[in-house]
Amino acid sequence: MRRPLLILSIAVFGSCVLFRQTLERDPVTHVLLLLPALAVAGWLMAVSLGRHRLRLREADANALTLLGVFAILFWMLPRYIDASLTNPLVEAAKFISVPLCIGAVLAVSWKATHPFLRGFLKANALSMLGVLAFLYIHAPVRICNSYLEVDQQRLGYGFLFVALALSLVWAVPLFFPADGGATPNKHLSGRATA
Amino acid sequence: MADVKAEPHTGAVKFSMLIAGAVFALMMVIGLVMRAAQGNLIELEAPFFYQLLSVHGAGMVGTAGLSGAAVMWYFVGRYVPLSARMYWAFIALFLLGVVFILTAIFIGRYGGGWTFLFPLPAISGEAWEPWAAALFMLGYVSIGVGFLLYHLAVGYPIMKHYGGFARALGWHVGFGGADPADAPPPAIVAAAAVTIFNTIGIIVGAAVLVASLVHLLVPGFAVDALLAKNMIFFFGHVFINASIYMAVIAVYEIVPEYTGRPWKTSRVFVLAWTAILLFVMAVYPHHLLQDVVMPPWALVLGQVVSYLSGIPLLAVTAFSLCVYLHGSKMRWDLASSLLVLAVAGWSVGTVPAIIDGMISVNKIMHNTQWVPGHFHIYLLLGVVAMSFGFMAWLVRGTKASESGMSGLDRMAFGAYALGAAGFALMFLISGAMSVPRRWAVHLPEWVLQDRIATAFAVLVVVSTLVFVIKYAVRLGRAPG
Repeated sequence: MRRPLLILSIAVFGSCVLFRQTLERDPVTHVLLLLPALAVAGWLMAVSLGRHRLRLREADANALTLLGVFAILFWMLPRYIDASLTNPLVEAAKFISVPLCIGAVLAVSWKATHPFLRGFLKANALSMLGVLAFLYIHAPVRICNSYLEVDQQRLGYGFLFVALALSLVWAVPLFFPADGGATPNKHLSGRATA
Repeated sequence: MADVKAEPHTGAVKFSMLIAGAVFALMMVIGLVMRAAQGNLIELEAPFFYQLLSVHGAGMVGTAGLSGAAVMWYFVGRYVPLSARMYWAFIALFLLGVVFILTAIFIGRYGGGWTFLFPLPAISGEAWEPWAAALFMLGYVSIGVGFLLYHLAVGYPIMKHYGGFARALGWHVGFGGADPADAPPPAIVAAAAVTIFNTIGIIVGAAVLVASLVHLLVPGFAVDALLAKNMIFFFGHVFINASIYMAVIAVYEIVPEYTGRPWKTSRVFVLAWTAILLFVMAVYPHHLLQDVVMPPWALVLGQVVSYLSGIPLLAVTAFSLCVYLHGSKMRWDLASSLLVLAVAGWSVGTVPAIIDGMISVNKIMHNTQWVPGHFHIYLLLGVVAMSFGFMAWLVRGTKASESGMSGLDRMAFGAYALGAAGFALMFLISGAMSVPRRWAVHLPEWVLQDRIATAFAVLVVVSTLVFVIKYAVRLGRAPG
């Protein structure tokens, strides 16, 4: 067990609980700060408890990753964001499911997931953040009952900035990978012939 | 991935090219029918004309993408291990998308053009139902997802094998001063660049497609029309350019077999492909020069980058080809002839494209047949000729009697070059005479050009049938 990470995880989770009302007052901080922070808390917890000891098969990792993606999609639905503000049970479910089903699950499964699936999910995340930005900026009605139309428009722009930031964060390592690639700059010997 | 070895997946690629050749021929017949209808040689109902226009545009662009993808897969497969399963998944999604598009057009009567320009798909004037427009766009989504998988399947092994995209693009040679002998082969440099810009294009395209679908289902969710147009033309421009840049890999890999001189990655080659990577994405505002609400800097960018875009192509691929050909003992057969024709046609095509990319010219010429003139040069004399050259090379014979050009080959090649050049030229002439594009019915003053173009189109169709039938007949017995 890595105690400092566990303490950090508890601290992040505790901060989310402590500042819950402040963060939930604004949809931008609710969706783009509180929810990611809860997921980070779950991620840190999984790492601190020794996720590396788990030897997942690729198929299992793929399935777990898709579970995490499903949980993300669920908590992107405006009606559940709304419900978490008015129904204590849904709020509790959010504070349990986001750290466990998103943060912890992805911490365990992400690295073992097939690289094509990871790339596919990243590319789709960028596209769909763009679509969410469009929906929240251009929606002719209030999507969440608890927030004003101007607030949801700010959230729409927030999604757009997150998409741009993620595209940079994800693209740079493709150009300059930390491990320098498996066999840098070596052509395969014995080129196949036509 | 570990159990996969580098091999070109010849069977899958041959199958793809068979589909591509057949669809190219079919789309050309549709083009012939449209030109004949404009020339009053046959009668078509106007709504049906726009359905044909939509299927012709979507079909040609999609098939150009498919054939380019097959070329790139084949040659990248010589250097890095690729997953055949991913390729088949790509083909399956592509064909599913084709079924959706054909159903939307011929059963749903969608006729809003291949560019699905917002908000046209949603305001058909009852010419088609919303489901048809939605199905058309879902077809694009399916093809887009297929291409995303394809580029992941190409990009990931390239990245792993060459140590990141920076090295795959040869930046250590272009900018770091490394020895050009350490650079990846041209096919890899080109594939890395195409993978990057086409993936970005697909991500943008997916966003605008889903937004347009939401608008179709809930019309209250109106997309900002200018933003949608920017995204659509970014996606469309990048995609069709990607198809050409994928297909040109055939020139880099096949021509050396005929000249005996390997196509090398030089510092200039690396810099040119880096420029292409940037220019392909930056130049798209030249499609929006008539949108006066666009920021002026974007339009200026579109014009300036249009000027610059031709340089990497002309200075590197076309000039290098001339150097490689000069003084070589070039063997001319159908494959090598079509590949050289393709580079020549592609190079010539930049001229009307650059002219149309000038703001002052575009104000007058944009909605005339000048525009289909320039892109028919790019396509007929560029990427389609490259595809036919690749197909001819795939089924080339090994016997001495099969080397060189037969009489039929010579006739088909000559008819294709003449027909394609004449057909595109008639568009340019019509454009210069301000004949509008995309009109089902033409005034009597425009009919002569339409009829001449129809005659050239017949030459193109007949020669294409020769190429495709010859390919199909030889599929089973050639070494490939």
